[in-house]
Amino acid sequence: MKNDLWVEKYRPTTIKEVIGNEEAKTLFTEWIGNKKPLKKAVLLYGPPGVGKTTLVNAAAREYNFKIIEMNASDTRSEKAVNRIATPASSFTGLDKFSSEIKGNMLFLDEVDGIAGNEDRGGVNAVIKIIENTRTPIIMAANDPDLEKLRPLKKICLLIRFQQARIPLIIMALKKICEQEQVKYEFEALEKIALNSQGDVRSAINDLQGLSEEGKILTLQDTFALSLRNKNISMDETLKGYFAAKNVAEVASFLNSSDAEYDDLLMVIGDNVARRYTDIVELAKAYDYLSQADVFRGRIGTENWHLFKYFYNNLAQVAAVNPESYKPFEFITPPPIRVITLFWTKTKRTMLASICTKIGNQCHVSKYEAKMIYVPYLRLMLQQKNKTNTLIEWLKLTSEEVTFLTSLKMF
Amino acid sequence: MAVNGEALMWVEKYRPKILSDVVDQHAIVESLKAFMRNPKIMPHLMFAGIPGTGKTTTALCIAYELFSMQNWKNFTLELNASDERGIDTVRERVKDFSRYSRGAFGDVPFALIILDECDQMTGPAQTALRRIMETSSRTSRFILICNQSSKIIEPIQSRCAIFRFSRLEKTAMVEHLKSIAKKENVNISPEAVERIVDYSEGDLRHAINALQTAAAYKENSVVDEKVVSQVIGEASPKQVQLMLNKAINGDFMEARRIMYDIIGTYGFTGAEIIRQMQKELFKISYIAPEQKAELSNILGEYDYRLTQGANSDLQLSALLAQFTKAGITLGENS
Amino acid sequence: MVILNKNGFKLPRVEKEKFTLLMRLGLEYNSQKMLFSIKHYNNINQLQNVLQDILKSEIAFTQTCIICGTDFGCSTCKYFKACPTKDLPFSCICNQCLRPKKVMQQQVLF
Repeated sequence: MKNDLWVEKYRPTTIKEVIGNEEAKTLFTEWIGNKKPLKKAVLLYGPPGVGKTTLVNAAAREYNFKIIEMNASDTRSEKAVNRIATPASSFTGLDKFSSEIKGNMLFLDEVDGIAGNEDRGGVNAVIKIIENTRTPIIMAANDPDLEKLRPLKKICLLIRFQQARIPLIIMALKKICEQEQVKYEFEALEKIALNSQGDVRSAINDLQGLSEEGKILTLQDTFALSLRNKNISMDETLKGYFAAKNVAEVASFLNSSDAEYDDLLMVIGDNVARRYTDIVELAKAYDYLSQADVFRGRIGTENWHLFKYFYNNLAQVAAVNPESYKPFEFITPPPIRVITLFWTKTKRTMLASICTKIGNQCHVSKYEAKMIYVPYLRLMLQQKNKTNTLIEWLKLTSEEVTFLTSLKMF
Repeated sequence: MAVNGEALMWVEKYRPKILSDVVDQHAIVESLKAFMRNPKIMPHLMFAGIPGTGKTTTALCIAYELFSMQNWKNFTLELNASDERGIDTVRERVKDFSRYSRGAFGDVPFALIILDECDQMTGPAQTALRRIMETSSRTSRFILICNQSSKIIEPIQSRCAIFRFSRLEKTAMVEHLKSIAKKENVNISPEAVERIVDYSEGDLRHAINALQTAAAYKENSVVDEKVVSQVIGEASPKQVQLMLNKAINGDFMEARRIMYDIIGTYGFTGAEIIRQMQKELFKISYIAPEQKAELSNILGEYDYRLTQGANSDLQLSALLAQFTKAGITLGENS
Repeated sequence: MVILNKNGFKLPRVEKEKFTLLMRLGLEYNSQKMLFSIKHYNNINQLQNVLQDILKSEIAFTQTCIICGTDFGCSTCKYFKACPTKDLPFSCICNQCLRPKKVMQQQVLF
């Protein structure tokens, strides 16, 4: 189904499929497979989105354990922990070594969420349970250094998870693309992986957000990614960039800025029209910007020796006429392109589906369907009473008909 | 049920079923008929020509005539290069097809593979296609369809008999539209037919769609020029026109907003938008020809930059800014 | 920089105290082959520091490509600078296996 989250759809179901962290996997598998482990509890720690929960679930499946899960969204008072955790640990623990289904495992996700007043006593309760139970207890935490977890660290086997390596993430993304029949430029996957900082989950989410049916995922599509969660400093950068008094000043400013050049390019593109109200200046600035972009394209991922030309042109954009500079309000990320494409994705998907149906009946490509069938079809469908058979013949849904009849001509 | 397998887009309903009915391509039809009489000698074929001149129709007619109306689907694989996901998919589908089709029907010792829009394929993909053609040549014949044969690599061209479909004669189109109108019991004025043909730029599918729409639009018993003009107006790229006008008349911000609107809804690439701007630019009546040439050069420059750059909408914005600037001098001159 | 094979590397003779420290930090010693190998990875950063101290040089462990199985060093990796888990001994994917056959892709409409 199109609405499935890919992170869920492609969540590994076996230990083997979990990406990276081979060492942690080995340690954990040893622990879970061991009938008399040295420690009754295990604490998996590491940054979010690297596969801790996934590994736990996959391992439980392979070793026939039932997972009873709690996470930070539960109230972590001692009472709550006791109420939920105790039965699982003492009732079924007895069966652990005797039955096919080896029984329950208690999984406390996000134990570093045991914090503040609300969860007073939470850690102690967990320790008590660990001490009193024969049921394996698995804990997961993002930040292993929290002072309050210290008592836990003493009685648990600690297993460290790392961010996933970039090549491993790229490979995972490639696999998903192949499954979903998404075409891509390698550089685009590279960028998504680099941007994820080792968080597989966010990389997969980004991939899903950026890819569209029937469209190639390009490097350009990924440019906005790194803008997502930030960026206060972009405002500062823009201020300095546009307010500079001459090219040299812009250039030195660009050099000292740590803003990403791809982000800069897009954001400047959104703001240059606000900076230059005079059309002659604006046209000139856009010409430089366009040439900067041309060099960006030529650089690709390899020809970095061309970088200076990119930067020179980018600097010229701000220096078209320093005299005319007046402070103005910036459009900050996400860029217009990203917002537009985000809000219109449903429309394009629907149009694509309609064009596929036209193509099936009329021996034309989707593009031709869009160019020489859709414009007329939408007019025919507006004449309601005569067109039912036509709709039936093309196998259009009522949703698609509504969409078509209200579609504006391009 | 009225559907009954009967086509309800007139383009399909009146698509010729036999070669002799193909509109205005007599020379080609005559040479192809020789192959129909003796299918064993039929080579791979390539049909080249502008859109809507009957290439796909002719290919389908060949399939009907070789394998009969009932059976052609079992022996014909129809693919569109621009819709398939890469050459690997094409290879797989050809492979599967030649495995499961019996590869022979009566006197016809092969199955037919119709590959539309081949010139949309990249060089490497075409090379791969060439290999596919070679490996399956004992069991299959290809009909490759493209707009420009020059975009097809030499080794493929040399393996095909190439047929060039010429632009349809206006009179032939007029006659064809009239005969459709007659069969549909639509009363249409001669001026209205002329108007449709002029607008369709030699693309018969375009013309037939316009005719069908006009017939659905008519208020009284006759489809006249007024109805046709209304339909053409409604079906022309209004937003592209508006974007151009806004830019040329100094409203850059609005032009850019419209650009995003079009990209958002229709998912056009930068190159496609430029192609449409080019087309619409020449229809604008208030700009002198030499000024159009100047604007057209700007389009060309940015068309090129698009292929080099990384952000298509940035290039399009820059293009609109140049148009806005050029618009000022236009205003001063006139 | 010295690249150590995580599955077996030699070290110059170390004092008993150091040896115990190494064992505690997660090394294992095979006295027949006289090779050290990594047993667990929880203290890898400290371990690395101690080893650098012993070898008087920067060290890195080899990566094993999970696809083709070759061992390789990180210094050849294109993503070395951006790597979030630099220098740590892990399985990874080598450049040859990662880079796809270069397919020129065309902008498909839609």
